[in-house]
Amino acid sequence: MQAGVLERAAGHFRTPSLWALLPLCAVYGLAVITAPEDAVQGVIQKILYVHPACAFAAYLGFGLTALGGALYLWREDEQYDRLALASAEVGVVFCTLVILTGPIWARGTWGRFWSWDPRLTVTLLLWFIYLAYLLLRGFTEGSARAARFAAVYGIAGVLAIPLNYFAIDLFGGRAIHPENLGRGSLGAGMGLPFALGLVTALLAFFHLLARRLELEGLRARNAFAEAETQHEPARAEGPWPT
Amino acid sequence: MTDAAIAARGLEKRFGPVAALRGIDLDVPTATTLAVLGPNGAGKSTLLRLMAGLARPTAGSLRVGNPKEDRRRTRGRVGYLGHASFLYPALTARENLLFAARLYGVIDARRRAAELLETQGLAAVADRPAGGFSRGMAQRLAIARGLSHDPSIVLLDEPYTGLDRVAADALTKQLAALHAAGRTLVLVTHELSRASELAQRAVVLARGRVVYAAQGPGLVLPSLEQAYLASVESAA
Amino acid sequence: MNVLLAVLWKDLISEWRTRDRIVSMLLFSVLVVVVFHFALPEDASQLLKTGAAGLLWIAYVFASVLGLNRAFALELENEALSGLALAPADRGWIFLGKSLANTLLLFLVQAVTAFVFALTFNVSLTAVVPQFAVVMALGALGLSSIGTLFAAVAVRTRYREVMLPLLLLPVMIPVLLGAVRASAALLERGTLPAPALRLLIVADLTFLIVSFVLFEYVLDE
Repeated sequence: MQAGVLERAAGHFRTPSLWALLPLCAVYGLAVITAPEDAVQGVIQKILYVHPACAFAAYLGFGLTALGGALYLWREDEQYDRLALASAEVGVVFCTLVILTGPIWARGTWGRFWSWDPRLTVTLLLWFIYLAYLLLRGFTEGSARAARFAAVYGIAGVLAIPLNYFAIDLFGGRAIHPENLGRGSLGAGMGLPFALGLVTALLAFFHLLARRLELEGLRARNAFAEAETQHEPARAEGPWPT
Repeated sequence: MTDAAIAARGLEKRFGPVAALRGIDLDVPTATTLAVLGPNGAGKSTLLRLMAGLARPTAGSLRVGNPKEDRRRTRGRVGYLGHASFLYPALTARENLLFAARLYGVIDARRRAAELLETQGLAAVADRPAGGFSRGMAQRLAIARGLSHDPSIVLLDEPYTGLDRVAADALTKQLAALHAAGRTLVLVTHELSRASELAQRAVVLARGRVVYAAQGPGLVLPSLEQAYLASVESAA
Repeated sequence: MNVLLAVLWKDLISEWRTRDRIVSMLLFSVLVVVVFHFALPEDASQLLKTGAAGLLWIAYVFASVLGLNRAFALELENEALSGLALAPADRGWIFLGKSLANTLLLFLVQAVTAFVFALTFNVSLTAVVPQFAVVMALGALGLSSIGTLFAAVAVRTRYREVMLPLLLLPVMIPVLLGAVRASAALLERGTLPAPALRLLIVADLTFLIVSFVLFEYVLDE
């Protein structure tokens, strides 16, 4: 069984991305530490350099999961299913980080851990969808069936997310997220660490994805090879085909 | 590739690391009856499920019907009777058949259902819920359901289960009639005598492989029995 | 199209004969309403004014999960689901047939529960019955469409009944929100707010189309 094109790409990407990631993290960390403290929010505002970046990765993760699932349904190539799985596992980690850093920030600035802010709520729902996806995979017997079911749920889930957003935005909680995250709302000296945060999160995401993908590919090839080496069943005696 | 109704080359089916079928090469020419024999666990049911399209091969090739035809239309030409009956217990016999006929797009489903009830000797219980049927009655109804759309390829997995002598004879007659009408039949059974009566080709499976094959004049009951017993012993 | 009608007919007749789902869904839904009475504080009239719609829809969502689980458990008996998979019919129609049957059953349960709710909590619905019916129907359709898709998946996993709510709840929020806001506005002011209705319709359409297309893949091995 050949390594799929995705896994080979992942293999090539893995080590260089690690080499890039380490110094990047150092630079990023430095930028965060030396960034000016926000006049109003204090040091806790620095979560801004982590929280949205993780959110970006979390949503990207589920997007790739759904895409992998759709490609699997279309092409029936298992490497797409492996992509979906790897992306879900890495994405859920980033999603968890978003859910953790959000309340920390909120508590530090507005005094309460949770306020049903639309964006955070949608991300919370995404988190539940991620978990349901992973549970579904874990509890379905048969890898082909699990892959198919997961693909269906991934596609349904990814379409539900914008719907969720509009629904909650229309009716949901009070918005406490800073509305405008564009250049204007970031004070002087905040642009760089913010951008670095984004890049670092993305690189970390793809690095982890590559590793997970490689691992899953190895696992699949290993299972295949193991099955191949099973010994031949005994042949019964009898007249051969006429 | 041959123009057989069903052709398998190097067919393989795995469930995880377990290989249920390995290296199956098989041809079932149109209008032939193939008997598939073998001990339990040999892969006979798996083979039939693959032919029916309920499962997909993990390696090798399997062609059922005309490959140029739309997959869905081929499904409409195949009739499958598995271990499970596909019946709805809350529905009557007639309603079960009506539903199956409508599902397969049979024109004038009512008439077809009535016909089938007659042929299977179920006219008397036509309007009783299928949930209350005895094993034999349920099996006859399941057979009727499988044939409701007059399939050209009929796959039967142990159809004689639960049938008494009279019903079994009736089924044999019915299968012979289907064969005479040019249908292709694949019959998995443990009833060797009936198999040798009905089939023009036979294979014996053991542990997922074909260990014996016979056709035409070579298909005689004694050799079948011998091959079958040998396969059962080796599987034990 | 014939297939849709055949599946719808089959589901409804089965249900009529056994009354399996309708009784359990109804009982459950009404029980939930009764439990609310005990769960709410002594003077709940203010809470009811604003929260009645939400309470009702909670009962509806859980009743629908119950019904959907049962719907597919019935298909697993005698492997009837494989029987459906074998048919040459376009599976989208099979989906629609089942989904409509589920919607109808749920709507029936909703209507009776609303009636019981209005009686026991002394909430007046008479002025808004037709609009309320529309909201209930749209909500039922949304829940049943994506619910039928997910139930077909959930019922073939190891944790059958538990899997469905896990899959369904985070995804059906738009339907819930639209339905609750619309219902609440009806109860409080007697008007049907356009945004809520729009949300319901958009969600329903999205879920119907997605489920119609994806159901094809759910019946395979």
